[in-house]
Amino acid sequence: MSADELRLERLIAAPPEEVFRLWTTPELLVTWWGPDGVDIPEHALDVRPGGAWRTTMRQPDGARNTVSGRYLEIDPPRRLVFTWAWEDAAGRRGHETVVDVRFESAPGGTHLLLHQARFLDHESRDRHQHGWSSSFDCLARATAKREG
Amino acid sequence: MGDLTVILAALAEPVRRGIVERLVREGERTVGELAAPLDISTPAVSRHLRILEEAGLIERRVRRQWRLVRVRPEAIGEIERWLLEQKRFWEGALDRLEAAAARQVPKRGKS
Repeated sequence: MSADELRLERLIAAPPEEVFRLWTTPELLVTWWGPDGVDIPEHALDVRPGGAWRTTMRQPDGARNTVSGRYLEIDPPRRLVFTWAWEDAAGRRGHETVVDVRFESAPGGTHLLLHQARFLDHESRDRHQHGWSSSFDCLARATAKREG
Repeated sequence: MGDLTVILAALAEPVRRGIVERLVREGERTVGELAAPLDISTPAVSRHLRILEEAGLIERRVRRQWRLVRVRPEAIGEIERWLLEQKRFWEGALDRLEAAAARQVPKRGKS
């Protein structure tokens, strides 16, 4: 049960630049964000490092779910990293994770790798230590607080 | 939701993760059996077990002279539920992303 992280892969039939745009252009993102049948009545995406993002999804039965976070790294067209937490009805954010999406050029389009976990894996943490040490300081402080 | 944060925080530490993985694999174990392969002091093992217990990941009981530890399936269920929910979101979204990419490419014109 190394199962507190999620890894998904997809081959998307468009070049990385196009796929990256679909993730980082708010008007395009809302055309696909979320499972089939939902629409996005509200969204606010400040797509820059440190910028906040928030989307509200509406299910076919009218039920709404909001998820929000902050962009940690935006490296077009290779990599997009952001934090992620569902909000409850009172707007309180639940468990926060980090979503790390990589866009690799592949024959036929883009090989998309999505990794979601409590932290980034060590390899990427080390490699990007300098660029966003402040984000990790925040994460480390949060962890220290939780662990007492 | 709050529980899940505590559960995953407890699991973020490699020794604790190892202990839980072993309990999932092997079932109930004594504290001594858990400590044996670990290169850390007994108080350190106890500290890890206390954190796991407070997070609801394990439960301890004493039977005769044995101090027994086992995993709490409810906690593992909590993690699995979260994962499933996330997976449903992303699988659905990536299906739609594929369709959106297919629409986007011809629109932008390929040379």
